[in-house]
Amino acid sequence: MTHPSPNGSANGRGRSPQAALAFRRLRWRLSRNIVRSTLSGSRLRFGMIVFCSAVFWAGLFGLFFNGFRFIGIYVDLVNTIVEYIFSMFFLSLLVMLFFSTGILTYTGLFQSREAAFLLTTPASADRVFAYKFFEAVGFSSWGFLLLGSPMMVAFGITVDAPAAFYAVFLVYLMAFVLLTGSLGAVAAILVANIFPGRQKAVLGAALVALMGVGAWFAVRLLRSPGEVMSSDWLGGLLLKLEWSQNPLWPSRWTSAGLIAAAKDDWPTAWFYLRVLTANAGVAYLLAAVVARDLYRSGYSRVQGERSSRRRAAWYGLDAAFHRAFFFIPRPIRLLILKDLRTFRRDPAQWSQFLIFFGLLAFYFMNIRRLSYDVQSPYWRNLVSFLNLGVTALILSTFTSRFIFPMLSLEGRNFWVLGLLPLRREAILWGKFMFASGISLVATEFLVILSDLMLRMSPAMIALHVGMVAVLCFGLSGISVGLGARLPNLKESDPSKIAAGFGGTLNLLVSLVFIFSIVTSLALPCHLYFAGFEASQISSIVLSPERFRFWLTVAILVSLVIGVVGTIVPLRIGIKAFQKMEF
Amino acid sequence: MIELRGVTKLFGAKRAVDDLDLRVRAGELFAFLGPNGAGKTTTIKMVCGLLTPSSGLVRVGGFPASSTEARQLLAYVPDQPYLYEKLTGREFLRFVVEMYGLEPRTAAMRTAELIETFELGDFIDELCESYSQGMKQRVVFAAALVHEPKVLVVDEPLVGLDPRSARIVKDLFVAQARSGVAVLMSTHLLSIAEELADTIGIVDHGRMLMHGTLADLRERLQSHGPLEDLFLKLTGGLRPSAVRPDPASSAAPVAAPAVSAEADQTP
Repeated sequence: MTHPSPNGSANGRGRSPQAALAFRRLRWRLSRNIVRSTLSGSRLRFGMIVFCSAVFWAGLFGLFFNGFRFIGIYVDLVNTIVEYIFSMFFLSLLVMLFFSTGILTYTGLFQSREAAFLLTTPASADRVFAYKFFEAVGFSSWGFLLLGSPMMVAFGITVDAPAAFYAVFLVYLMAFVLLTGSLGAVAAILVANIFPGRQKAVLGAALVALMGVGAWFAVRLLRSPGEVMSSDWLGGLLLKLEWSQNPLWPSRWTSAGLIAAAKDDWPTAWFYLRVLTANAGVAYLLAAVVARDLYRSGYSRVQGERSSRRRAAWYGLDAAFHRAFFFIPRPIRLLILKDLRTFRRDPAQWSQFLIFFGLLAFYFMNIRRLSYDVQSPYWRNLVSFLNLGVTALILSTFTSRFIFPMLSLEGRNFWVLGLLPLRREAILWGKFMFASGISLVATEFLVILSDLMLRMSPAMIALHVGMVAVLCFGLSGISVGLGARLPNLKESDPSKIAAGFGGTLNLLVSLVFIFSIVTSLALPCHLYFAGFEASQISSIVLSPERFRFWLTVAILVSLVIGVVGTIVPLRIGIKAFQKMEF
Repeated sequence: MIELRGVTKLFGAKRAVDDLDLRVRAGELFAFLGPNGAGKTTTIKMVCGLLTPSSGLVRVGGFPASSTEARQLLAYVPDQPYLYEKLTGREFLRFVVEMYGLEPRTAAMRTAELIETFELGDFIDELCESYSQGMKQRVVFAAALVHEPKVLVVDEPLVGLDPRSARIVKDLFVAQARSGVAVLMSTHLLSIAEELADTIGIVDHGRMLMHGTLADLRERLQSHGPLEDLFLKLTGGLRPSAVRPDPASSAAPVAAPAVSAEADQTP
């Protein structure tokens, strides 16, 4: 082959088309091999993912379809309400896609070994960026498709939209994803250049700022005057959401264009599509130019900053932990401390935990503002169980996302755990205690807060506290046990481990567990408190005596489910872990 | 082919590479030696254009190291090589061939030749995820050489290779150098440097302590022992104290002489 000479016989830019072709073929070969190996080796996993996605899609479709029909009650305001819902939906997606694509682009461009390899090839920086960017967009936008498509189909059916609406939705989606993803990628490259090696701190600060804005906005909404769901209240609410209709928001272009397409107003739909695609193109061009000029320097800076960080050990906290948990064997305490330290030093873990539980706490604190506490006992009981269910569901996403991958993340260092002078099952018990401890602290606080705000009786508060404890132990047992039974030692990215077969199965089992516990306890309470609401159905309502009996049965059943749900997965995990070869 | 002039690389307050001068000519096999954290990998990454020097100049084949032209001339084999798990070895080689724009006929011949040289035939059509460390390393070497680079940069070349593969790689380094390729190799294995290198450079704390042929180094340090003794003398003591068997029987530590390599000293 011919090589360039310093006198200028070869032009680097001239290599770009061949690199583009090489990347296209690489992507094609990778996709083909992944599909082949998935279909030949993991049919069950593939089938399960398709099945779960279909169930999720159908559930969302039902929710949106009924939601749109419910909105139809407000005949005068139906168009306005739909416009606002669409604008807020796409605005939320804009924020989520910005962050998710930004994070994935950052990881792909600055932290992956593939990037180091590609940067030593003749491919130009913007070409490498394009390859990694579209990979990131693919990863971050499939959730958007799964979330957005049932909403659009439900809306389309409700308003009897033409067939072309569904096709144009996909074009809108691609342009919207490209626009927001490009902006996220620009932010990622700028962060690498301006704050090299401090990406987690920047992300944490951005998320805290976002939460602050969200909380401020939520307070404003909750202060809408008038009775909840009344016309005055709704009018006030829409007035406060008016900023989402600003014509400069890409979310506004998307929502207005799609609503127009659904109503057969094609001139308006095409206009907004042109605005959106033109802006998406410019945003991508901007991202490519930024990558061309700043990617290599950013990569160098990030690599340079990674090796020179010292961490505070916080030995005082360690000593306090040892004193507080003296009854746990010391080796297990040390393992728990190691996991706590890892947790503390990974803002990706605690920031998500903090955001979800922070939002819940914020909502619970505002329960009285929504006047839920002065509703009938029936409604308060219903709301309290719903709050508890939501808390448990969020906890299950936490255990699936962070606890399940814990053993897999030991990865190549697995032999260290295997050779520790400990019985292997003690290692899993240590992880179980760590998971249960964190879960209990967060969820008990939330549920007590919710019940106090709802002015629930001490007996019901005690019931809920016990129920949450059962849920915490169960969800931790499931995640630790299945994490040991189905580890993915090759993967170093916890989100990919959680998204794999084991993680998906873990989430499903967790959901079934939550459903079983919550239903078994909520049912007798619901039937009892229903008597306060509707005397005409008193024949199926429990009397106080029968309520006590059935509640005792329900508590026993939920305890049995809890113990089985905790011990069985842990046993399975321990058995697999003991047999594991290192 | 490789030229570093007054190169310094700062990581925050830490000087990973400190005013380093280095030149590797076409046909020269340069072994880069140094203790852990001496700045070898940082230097190599600057040569490959992955890191930008804080000050100084890095050129490959006369081009700035970060330019496309420099990367066209260069092949880099890192200590932890990267392969796409879901590609076969052959598909990976094909990707590299396409990236460097080789003509299909030349590429096919070259690929076949390297598959034979590195004895990849038994597994080249299997997915890389099933390869052992040694198999991966051999595929990566083949990929590095498939476009006939003028500069070969290798970080810890023999990690994970069995004795037979190691022999193949060592022979190949010598053959590459004799065919006019500039080879820059970083290693902890002093025997490899002793066996293969035309020039040896010893770095510590980011500074080039000394470089030259093995004979040059021996002459300058007035020592005729193995390279290991020279290396330990230069980098802070004959033997690490923790493993010194008997303080009474070992020689007193010799302070590292303040010999700094000068530019253009390379033969």
